[in-house]
Amino acid sequence: MTIFKRSDHSRLSLQTWEFTGTALVNLFVWLLVVVYLFPLSYMVVTSLKNREQFLDPNAPLYPAERMRMTYQGRELIVYQVPLQGGSHPLGLLKAGRVSSQFVDPENPEAGIITWEGNWRLLRAVYQFKLSTSNFSEFMSGLDPALLLKNSLAVALIGEFGVLCSSIMVAYGFSRFRIPGGKYLFLLLIATIIIPDSITLIPTYFMYVRILDWNGTWLPLVVPHFFSSAIFVFLLRQNFKSIPKELDEAAMLDGAGPVRILVSIILPQSIPTVSTVALLHFFYAWNEIRNASLYLGIAPQLRTFAFSVQTFQSFFGGTPEMLQVGALVAMSAPVLVLFLAQRLFMQDMVITGMEK
Amino acid sequence: MTASHPRPSRQQQEGYIGLLFLLPWILGFLLFKAGPILAALGFSLTDFKMLSPESTRFIGLENYIRLIGDSNAGAGIFGSIGYFITTVPLQLAVALALAAIFTSDRLKNRRFLRTLFFMPSIISATAIFFVMIGLADPRTGWINKLFLEPLGLPPMQSLFSAMGFTILLMVMALWSIGPGFLILLSAMQAIPQEIYEAARVDGAGPVLRFVSITLPMISPAIFFTLVVNLTGVFGGAVLLDRGYLFSQSLSPMESYITSMMFDEGELGYASTLAWAMFVVTMSITIALFRSARKWVYFPEEERHDDL
Repeated sequence: MTIFKRSDHSRLSLQTWEFTGTALVNLFVWLLVVVYLFPLSYMVVTSLKNREQFLDPNAPLYPAERMRMTYQGRELIVYQVPLQGGSHPLGLLKAGRVSSQFVDPENPEAGIITWEGNWRLLRAVYQFKLSTSNFSEFMSGLDPALLLKNSLAVALIGEFGVLCSSIMVAYGFSRFRIPGGKYLFLLLIATIIIPDSITLIPTYFMYVRILDWNGTWLPLVVPHFFSSAIFVFLLRQNFKSIPKELDEAAMLDGAGPVRILVSIILPQSIPTVSTVALLHFFYAWNEIRNASLYLGIAPQLRTFAFSVQTFQSFFGGTPEMLQVGALVAMSAPVLVLFLAQRLFMQDMVITGMEK
Repeated sequence: MTASHPRPSRQQQEGYIGLLFLLPWILGFLLFKAGPILAALGFSLTDFKMLSPESTRFIGLENYIRLIGDSNAGAGIFGSIGYFITTVPLQLAVALALAAIFTSDRLKNRRFLRTLFFMPSIISATAIFFVMIGLADPRTGWINKLFLEPLGLPPMQSLFSAMGFTILLMVMALWSIGPGFLILLSAMQAIPQEIYEAARVDGAGPVLRFVSITLPMISPAIFFTLVVNLTGVFGGAVLLDRGYLFSQSLSPMESYITSMMFDEGELGYASTLAWAMFVVTMSITIALFRSARKWVYFPEEERHDDL
């Protein structure tokens, strides 16, 4: 009997420990999230304040405005007034340095209340108030429908190019015995590390002077049709993990290399292919350097990210409008990330870069 | 296995088909990498100017001599290396710690939480910059209101003070850990549980298990994360490129090159600077790859894979 009792007891304390441990781990991670994303809370809160709310130095941190009341057709600002028996929110009717007259918003019929003291020392009463006027002002300065269309077009054309070409190249590297293939792959890895600045000047001159691509989307999309080294690396690694026996079986059935790629390799690589597709989408959406180099002379072709940045540097500049710009600029990628979180970068195991 | 078979024609055929599949990359490499890099080497030997390209002259190594005496270039290169040395280990440590926490079964809503931690990595540099300008605003920003004022510290004047810029760099670095975090997490989750069980039976505690099992087993992922972060610092093709800050980068050397290009219009000298940066980046990368042979664990089957 005693043995049973003890084991019951220890099981109970074990359960308590388990519960406490679980609670602590979850609490810790959620606290971490709050700290990590803290600057974003500033962005969201500030974008919902209008200019007056934002500049009011006494206002609370959350979007709020001064409480007002109407008394005999006049609008009064409500202050917290200390009276006998605690402080009350009262509407200021007549301000004075020595004594001021107030009206009780709850009971205006009670008449005028006179308070002795300097009204400037009183604190206004604030109430929670979201303001969306920033967003309408921001959007009226841009052409959101056109920009959305442009950004989507640039992202999706590039997406098509980078996926087709990177899948092709990764398939070539993972399934064929190519003379010197090992060295070609090392070269590919090396190109991942090449700084953009070294290729910038010659490619700029090639696009603008030789190909006359200035003011078109071509410099933003054409290079993606020649595969991306880092995507090739990720895809090749995934393709190599698919057993070769499947290819060989299909080959005996008379399937050619393209058939094998489409009907055997790709269906088994959906998570990696979608990860690569999402990575490119995030890149294309945020891309600004090429957009500002080549789309400066073509306002009708500008992308969302580029226009938001230009708009802010010319018209915005006030912190609350900057926050609106930031929120608008990040909303599309964040939305896509959350919608696709089931597919994004799940089980991407890297087993070696050189091999 | 087929290598010993005397079937050259079939193998040749396979090689040709394979090369056909590599064609997009080979063409892209020649057109957008090798060609421009060599062209930049050519430009670096001239006094090529943005506004007067027709009067370009060959000036030999003059730009390289100027580079040696240019204290801005030195500061830029050492600034970039310093940025690498300070941010990359920090990013790696935070990503590792976060990934280790996420391997715990006790954590609920893991998919949602990992997306939350990943999210800042896809915010454009411009948006982060806007947020930080607001946060650091001397009158209305929350850094002064919530932290410095209550603590009785002197208020920060703007984002462009030394302190403001340090905060911006830290936020940028910590908000870029997303891809590294997920790659390390996937690697940790792929470690067979039996290894941990065996170590636990042998009496290894959690710290010892982490150091002697987790770290070696995920070393390829650590190496990959390092390479990705390295390219991020030196302005290469990062896994997740968040765009540029008003066509400027946070990397000091890259900012200097960009300003030489677009503000000064000295394309010849900018090409020289870019080449210097290229050489430095490549040296660090080669050193990193050399060191990988000592500390990165390659599974047996990978080592004998001759492809």
